[in-house]
Amino acid sequence: MAKKKRMKDLTLWERIYLPEVAKGLSITLQNMFRPAFTMEYPEVKFMPQGSYRGRPVLVLEEHGGERCVACGLCSRVCPALAIEIQAGETDREKERYPEKFEINMLRCIFCGLCEEVCPEEAIVMSKDYELAFTKREDAIYGKDKLLVPVAELQDRIEFLRSFK
Amino acid sequence: MDMFTLFAVKLIQVLIIAQVMLLTVSYLVYFERKISAWAQSRVGPNRVGPAGLLQPFADVLKLLLKEDIMPEKANKLVHIIAPIIALFVAFTTYAVIPIGPDITLFGLNIPLSVAPEIDMGILYVLALTSIGVYAITFSGWSSGSKYSLLGGIRSSAQMISYEISMGFAIAGVLLMAGSTLPTKIVELQSGWMWNAIVQPIGFIVFVVSAFAETNRLPFDLPEAEPELVGGFHTEYSSMKFAGFFLAEYANMIIASALIVTLYLGGWQIPYIETLGWAPEIVIPLQIGAFAFKLGALLFFFIWVRWSLPRFRYDQLMDLGWKVMFPLSLINIVWVAAIIMIFGIK
Amino acid sequence: MGKIVLDGNEVDFKQGQTIIEAAKDAGVEIPHFCWHPSLSVSGNCRVCLVEVEKMPKLAIACATQASEGMVVNTNSGKALEARRAVMEFLLINHPLDCPICDEAGECKLQDYTYDHSIGESRFTETKTNKDKRVQLGPHVMFDGDRCISCSRCIRFCDEIAGETELTFVKRGDRVTITTFPGKELDNPYSLNVVDICPVGALTSRDARFRARVWDMSHTNTICNGCSRGCNTEMWVRSNEIVRLVPRFNPDVNSYWMCDNGRLNTFRFVNAESRVDGPHVRREGKLTKVTWDEALGSISSEIKGINGKEIAFIGSPFATIEDNYILSKLAKSLHSKNIDMPEYIIPGSADDILIREDKTPNSTGAKLAGVVPQKDGLNLDGIMKAVKEKKIRVLFVMEEDIALLKPEYAEALKTIEFLFVMASNFNSTTEFANVVLPAATYAEKNGTWMNFQKRLQRIRPAVTTLDMDRSLDGLEMSRLDKFGTKWDRWGNYKKYDARPSWRILVELAGLMGDKMKFRMAEEVFDDAAKHIEELHGVTYDEIGESGFELTKKAVKV
Repeated sequence: MAKKKRMKDLTLWERIYLPEVAKGLSITLQNMFRPAFTMEYPEVKFMPQGSYRGRPVLVLEEHGGERCVACGLCSRVCPALAIEIQAGETDREKERYPEKFEINMLRCIFCGLCEEVCPEEAIVMSKDYELAFTKREDAIYGKDKLLVPVAELQDRIEFLRSFK
Repeated sequence: MDMFTLFAVKLIQVLIIAQVMLLTVSYLVYFERKISAWAQSRVGPNRVGPAGLLQPFADVLKLLLKEDIMPEKANKLVHIIAPIIALFVAFTTYAVIPIGPDITLFGLNIPLSVAPEIDMGILYVLALTSIGVYAITFSGWSSGSKYSLLGGIRSSAQMISYEISMGFAIAGVLLMAGSTLPTKIVELQSGWMWNAIVQPIGFIVFVVSAFAETNRLPFDLPEAEPELVGGFHTEYSSMKFAGFFLAEYANMIIASALIVTLYLGGWQIPYIETLGWAPEIVIPLQIGAFAFKLGALLFFFIWVRWSLPRFRYDQLMDLGWKVMFPLSLINIVWVAAIIMIFGIK
Repeated sequence: MGKIVLDGNEVDFKQGQTIIEAAKDAGVEIPHFCWHPSLSVSGNCRVCLVEVEKMPKLAIACATQASEGMVVNTNSGKALEARRAVMEFLLINHPLDCPICDEAGECKLQDYTYDHSIGESRFTETKTNKDKRVQLGPHVMFDGDRCISCSRCIRFCDEIAGETELTFVKRGDRVTITTFPGKELDNPYSLNVVDICPVGALTSRDARFRARVWDMSHTNTICNGCSRGCNTEMWVRSNEIVRLVPRFNPDVNSYWMCDNGRLNTFRFVNAESRVDGPHVRREGKLTKVTWDEALGSISSEIKGINGKEIAFIGSPFATIEDNYILSKLAKSLHSKNIDMPEYIIPGSADDILIREDKTPNSTGAKLAGVVPQKDGLNLDGIMKAVKEKKIRVLFVMEEDIALLKPEYAEALKTIEFLFVMASNFNSTTEFANVVLPAATYAEKNGTWMNFQKRLQRIRPAVTTLDMDRSLDGLEMSRLDKFGTKWDRWGNYKKYDARPSWRILVELAGLMGDKMKFRMAEEVFDDAAKHIEELHGVTYDEIGESGFELTKKAVKV
């Protein structure tokens, strides 16, 4: 890093300031002729990488059931208390499943702690960033909205495994 | 010219200038956003109309439809008067600025300025811009908010400080011209005898002071967002806010027009008279030259805003009193010396 | 009495105590799975191994008697190494299914794994598979994989419940627990094995998967199932009672409680039939009205009626405070007709915990003054008088008298004005002119007195409409602390109900007898002032574990 310059360290040329002004102006002028970085959103959409933390979703296995066993760790670790779970009993091999699994997207801060703590790799952060609602009630996502087939989440799952 | 014709002509002139001003102001906002976008590798407004060209109308409509909020602790009368003063000053100043030489239309000799006969000329501009300080001070004080008050106080201190160097810089120009009439000042800058070239120190002092007077970056301390929320106009909304907004950009145009008139030869195109063209060709070219110079200066104003950081308040005052003021004095001595050596033209 | 040296400190022990007991008395916990203070020593989990000087090998603290001058080290290198080895052995076949297991959060094996294990296993072979989801009895589920074969449940059935139902079968790593042929785990105390199971092998079918332990609040209270008054913890989530768990009290219930008390006594709190808000009968139908309206209609009805024509029914299910205010109100209305029903089922008692008297507070209610006064009528007399229209107004507090005898129901049909304070709609409220919602025992502060004349506190665990968890000092779970009313969990059902004593105090106020009580504690202090047996007793004195009145007599 460049050494910090104090007022007394400046040369006369720098202290006149006008040349420095000209330098600054030339930089912005050059910038004006560079192409824009802007992505024109609704027409062009940002496709995130696996490292992106979009809205948290539940993994839906190929056989049609959720991976989640409703252990409640994500709900416990969630710093914003966005997750509410009611467990229930099933006949499947893992006898516990979420009867109700709700994430309040108004509370969610996309920290990804739920994903990190999950012992079953059942809740992961998706690439979905389009989250607009017009009612508070709509912001509470139930299992119908949260379950996403495992095939769509491959990127993120691979990313997570590469960091384990 | 009889009284009636004079009145009609002036009315038409006022209407044209006011409309052109308003339109320019709204497109100035558009360009401000576009230029800032370019400087930052963005696109800028591009949704309303082709290339976002209708954005100013959308902005105006939005401002019109916004709720007009009157703060509970505000002094209601002063609160309303403040933006009116700002607008009044911004538009009336334009009366003395010539955009071209006199023209002959329908047998009438028409000067291309609303009030060319005002003897005090440039002094009129100085007087009016001083009133502009009241708009900001009033708005700051009457809002009943600490941010507004601080913004207002800063603004009045800043404007008064820079008005002095501005006045002295103009004094140099007046000495040179021997007259306060803008038309005369412009006429004397024929050829390359532009005041910007003859008295470069005065030019720089005037430009810097103009930035300070219009509260543009790097001198926009009255509304310094990080520290004062919105400065003097924090508590303004809807059309009252739009008033300040308009006035700020109108002031920018006036400042640019003044710089063009006083230092950059006004409507003059150097040595065009030697070509011997007919006035029907020359005069529109000259008006075009004025518009071009004005546009270039406006671009410069915006360009500076998106390039330079804001001064700290003490730096601002240092610059005003310790640099600009002595420089303007030096400029007077310089001009006086030139006049002594070469004699008044 | 003697002394042993425990980790360098001298510690007293009583003759016959084992090291683990002596350490426990001294406040040192030696890790243990199979040892339980009320059960016999089995010594099979081996996790309590300690180093005793001059003994050639490590000794298990639960089965080694303390003797004078013994030097015991619980944290020496050898002891720690042995403990870690034992933990590793225990975890060899224990499945890693804590996310599914209901015990997670209150699991001894989980806790000890954190405290005493190195967190790694060298075991790479496949774990054994045993029967899962075995229904051992009507209330208990068994998971063979999770069992660490500590035999606590077997010993409990043998020694405490007195019915030999469970046993080990098979050997080595295939050992598992099962019921004897033709038997099932159905003794009246069967759910206690769930509490003492150190892992999640035994779970209650009732509370399984309903809530995580860390999502619930738990409140110290008393069981209302019989006059034993077992000390319990009430676990609540989203303002609903999830389970009751016994709380240790050596003088009342030790570590245990019966299945009936655990499963059935609290159901009415969350039942559909709860009275929500005051109701007044209009055009033959009970209609919801405001409190002011309902109380006003009672006071205007009673005004001018002779005390002899009014009768009061108290309740052994209500607190001393409730019954005390009822008797106070009877006195101020100059009525001597006050009584309450009894719920004694002869022969239903056993010699463990269950009592014949099925109410938690019959002694306390009598003490509080709910007994027929001189020349006053008892319950039968009151109901007869109702039939004969000698009694025109009847107050019923938290009782369903119409259900007791058919002739009572018959009599109620003819009553002029029946005022009922009830938590749930029942057969008595069908006749009532005014029904006011009474808070249940899970929603109020109060005092009960059990058959030993022992005063015990009940505390609110569930909130009603006019209560606030934090302001009223209720136990709070994490969600209660941080949820807002805009969250679903903060938006749980709250009933519009008030403690009976408060309803009566407000009513008395309307009828000119200004009683200035704002809290149950003030009512109790007033009762302690006026009732001789209670002189000098305060809520503080009762505390968490109760206060026996007979003891006070000795003390004074």
